[in-house]
Amino acid sequence: MEVLRKYASELLEKKAVAAVIGYVRVSDKRTRPAIITNPEDTSSLVFDNYCLNNLSVYLTKARIKALCRTSDKPMKLAITAKPCDVHSIVALIQENQIHRDDIHIISFNCGGVVKDFGLEFSKETLASKCIHCESQKPVYFDKLFGEEKKIPAAEDKQLQKINEIDSMSTEERFEFFKKEFDKCIKCYACRAVCPLCYCQRCITDKTIPCWIESSSHQRGNFSWNIVRAFHLSARCTGCGECERACPMDIPLGLINRTMAIEAKKSFSFVSGRSLEIPTLVGSFDVKDSDELFM
Amino acid sequence: MDKEKWEPKIAAFVCNWCTYTGADLAGTSRIKYPSNTKLIRVMCSGSVDPVFILKAFERGADGVLVSGCHPNDCHYNAGNFHARRRWDFFHKLLDFIGIEKERLQFSWISASEGKKFADVISKITKDIKSLGPFKAYKQMNSEFTVNFPEYNESSNSINKELQ
Amino acid sequence: MKIGVFICHCGENISRTVDCPKVAEVCRNFPGVEYSTNYKYMCSDPGQKLIKDAVLENKLDAIVVGSCSPHMHERTFRNAAISAGINPFLVEIANLREQCSWVHDDVEEATQKAIELVRMALEKVKRDKPLTKIKVNVTKRILVIGGGIAGIQAALDVANAGYEVILVEKEPSIGGHMSQLSETFPTLDCSQCILTPRMVEVYQHPKIKLFTYSEVVKVEGFIGNFKATIKKKARHIIDDRCSGCGLCMENCPIKKKAYNSFEENLAFRPAIYTPFPQAVPNIPVIDETICTHYKNGKCGMCVKVCDREAIDFDQEDTMFVADIGAIIVATGFKLYNIEKKSSGSIYKGYGEYGYGKYRDVIDGLQFERIASASGPTSGEIKRPSDGKVPKKIVFIQCVGSRDESKGISYCSKICCMYTAKHAMLYKHKVHDGEAYVFYMDIRAGGKMYEEFVRRAIEEDNVKYIRGRVSRIYEEKGKYIVKGEDTIAGMPVVVDADMVVLASAMIPHDNAPLLARTIGIPYDKYGFYNEAHPKLRPVESTTSGVFLAGACQSPRDIPDTVSMASAAASKAIILFSSDQLEREPVVAKVNEDICQGCFYCKKVCPFGAIEVKDIKDINGIVFKEVAYINQGVCKGCGTCTATCLSKSIELAGFNNEEIFAQIAAL
Repeated sequence: MEVLRKYASELLEKKAVAAVIGYVRVSDKRTRPAIITNPEDTSSLVFDNYCLNNLSVYLTKARIKALCRTSDKPMKLAITAKPCDVHSIVALIQENQIHRDDIHIISFNCGGVVKDFGLEFSKETLASKCIHCESQKPVYFDKLFGEEKKIPAAEDKQLQKINEIDSMSTEERFEFFKKEFDKCIKCYACRAVCPLCYCQRCITDKTIPCWIESSSHQRGNFSWNIVRAFHLSARCTGCGECERACPMDIPLGLINRTMAIEAKKSFSFVSGRSLEIPTLVGSFDVKDSDELFM
Repeated sequence: MDKEKWEPKIAAFVCNWCTYTGADLAGTSRIKYPSNTKLIRVMCSGSVDPVFILKAFERGADGVLVSGCHPNDCHYNAGNFHARRRWDFFHKLLDFIGIEKERLQFSWISASEGKKFADVISKITKDIKSLGPFKAYKQMNSEFTVNFPEYNESSNSINKELQ
Repeated sequence: MKIGVFICHCGENISRTVDCPKVAEVCRNFPGVEYSTNYKYMCSDPGQKLIKDAVLENKLDAIVVGSCSPHMHERTFRNAAISAGINPFLVEIANLREQCSWVHDDVEEATQKAIELVRMALEKVKRDKPLTKIKVNVTKRILVIGGGIAGIQAALDVANAGYEVILVEKEPSIGGHMSQLSETFPTLDCSQCILTPRMVEVYQHPKIKLFTYSEVVKVEGFIGNFKATIKKKARHIIDDRCSGCGLCMENCPIKKKAYNSFEENLAFRPAIYTPFPQAVPNIPVIDETICTHYKNGKCGMCVKVCDREAIDFDQEDTMFVADIGAIIVATGFKLYNIEKKSSGSIYKGYGEYGYGKYRDVIDGLQFERIASASGPTSGEIKRPSDGKVPKKIVFIQCVGSRDESKGISYCSKICCMYTAKHAMLYKHKVHDGEAYVFYMDIRAGGKMYEEFVRRAIEEDNVKYIRGRVSRIYEEKGKYIVKGEDTIAGMPVVVDADMVVLASAMIPHDNAPLLARTIGIPYDKYGFYNEAHPKLRPVESTTSGVFLAGACQSPRDIPDTVSMASAAASKAIILFSSDQLEREPVVAKVNEDICQGCFYCKKVCPFGAIEVKDIKDINGIVFKEVAYINQGVCKGCGTCTATCLSKSIELAGFNNEEIFAQIAAL
């Protein structure tokens, strides 16, 4: 922890970066994101099993980007990112939202995080993304801290649920999701927290023509959730923030993960793993399956 | 609603160069097919947005067909390749959400395949007829109290249909 | 907005199954419809006048025509709209004939569908935006790719019209396959004699810039404004110093290390060579792979004998970038590779005929060289293996062609004719020889073609056997050809001295690569696709790119030449105006909400999308957005569907219009 604070403070003092996006402790089992521009404030930086947020969402925010232009020369942004958050950063770089040279990634060997604040870290409270985590080491970083840790093994309940839904009949599946989507209040917390939902004007905010009905009626809810899932399929890196942010506990992770599984199965593609592999959206292979087409 | 008399409503998004021309050829060859499907002409199958399909369902379509040029035959070289990948995902997503696979179908029909066009239309009409009206979606419409701003008549007719 | 609805009876074509007066009547009550009528022939002069009068009288803003397919008469009605003072893009066609009256029997059903189709068109036209045609400048210079007879003809035609031509040929000399031929059907005139003057004309033409031993590696831009990058491979000869004396070739000590591909591997060539004596330009190239200098730095024989000091061992490949306005692709064909069964290839090969194994089993082009007066045997028919005069030759047609199991379903078109010619040439040269032809069908469509084949059969006594050959094997210096005579219904065995296989014409291996470089579509074999098989046969679907010759499908010389001239005239038409107009169906970015993810750039098949920097007041870039070059965009709309924030709209097919149609389903 001390090395991280010292490193961050040095970066700011050297004026190597404009700001450090990091976690600060709120209480025992709770952290919050912080944008630190003053070297003295780095003393509150932490990194542990309670650092839930995917901070890469802040990288695309105009106000934070503006920090880089406050001095004469453009400066970098430093971000503390869990290895899974680095995937989001990779996706953002591939989608031209940030440039690799403009950010300084401080990463950690991760041992998993809790699924929500206030819970004691244990194998029962492990976030579902950590249960099937395959990348405890970041794929890209500028500075790496911490020793390699082991994530406690736990039951993959999300996968079990997906398999359960898969085995349902079409009507049952529709009923299941209808019930879930019915809860949606169109607060768009899922969108706000998603690093890849960076559009200034979302498709659902467009009224001429009206793409998605924005009242929280079932039909609009359906459209919104389908379109959200579709826009993120083959792009979502599986950080799970949308599900955590959803105040109505809609299991968005189920859909995201199903689409990720499909992308892996059909195209051997996992989003945000490499800067060299082209994104699935926007590329094609003449040998793609023709199965769907009559 | 009398199930005997119910006729499905099917929307088909077809590319201008292959499938639309193929449909014209079916006409010139006088090949008969059911009249339930209405074509919406777009320039390329690559330009069909998944939201179009959701909209069609919302507006009371019981089935949707998307059709374009065969791979390698695209008037725009690659539009249909992008479409193919897009539909692969979207179809899987809809299936997972619980929308019958047959509600949304895809085909490659070239400008010279008038017969195939008629066959595809007959097949999708038959498929949708055997599935019955898309109640699941229409239910949501009936619960919807606000009329569509763009076109009032169609939503009214849907409501009437359900009464 | 006041809309007029015009329902056409199309004689009885529509009105037979669609109650046109009823459609017009019902449509009159749709919101926005000011005027609605029906008429027998809307596309006729009185019909168009009716539209015009109705527009003026009722002050209509937009019109919907319920008629035949828009592919048929959209332009007609748009022109009618222009004459009535309406923007042509405020015209929508409801396809009541091809997609309604002709395909449905029940009058009530068809009428109902017709009403719905008109309603959809109405909803679209309400949201249509007036559009104006886009104007782009034209660079009046053409790039011709391929220096065979197609490229030569096209280049000469365009150059003679007064425009500059860049002719690129990958081989050291122009001439192509035609220069390899002995005599040509059906007149039996010498191929070289008619071709060589044209080759020289190309070389000397002031408007033609010839790049031989060169390749097109990159093409950017769009109709009227292409930029082509041409790689000029190192010849190792300084062009303007070489006089073409040929001393270097004579003195090159490497004589038998490489086959001469011009002689179809029936002869050798030195390390410094021109493919044939009449080569244009008559400048040799050095084959680095066999030249001793590139192995150990020694030899240099050519340098010693060249008194003009034209040899430059250190020459490197050079790149040229040329601004051009149009491209004619005339890359030609190659022959089906009979012997090889390379895995993964769609072509399966003919192992059973023993090509490659038996030296006297040859293909059509090899026979051309043997029969050619300038060929390796000076025109005497001799076996490649022992030089003996064959007394019995079997010609087999359709080797590869029309044989789905071997990978090709099409007819190669020229083989029936050239086999007849081969048999004839053979009989003319070897009077006591016997010629057998195994054929599937004789396809001799063309002026004097059928007569030519009859002449081979009747005057020259060539024996035609209808049937396929199953196997060829060697026995005591003879080639036993086992086949079947399907007319007599019995097996046939011929002990031949030589076998000539009329193998199929296929595209070059790198044809798909070039197609992707230029951005034109191709079929599963690699032949380039024409824009329309009947009405636009020499245009590719990419505007400004034209096709000539066998790169599009198998063709004989007259067809190739006429196609080349047609392509040239298309290019000349393009060059006849300084600016060209194009349909305004192009995509446009809303820069305010574009997020700059550039998925659109990734999906654009034409590279029309560029990165545009948005700068703040101090000139600092704070945002990158997509910018669509309207000249390059072809209006497919793939970007619009890919765009996540829906910042791109396709003019003429924008999302609002499509939503309205969906709503009116």
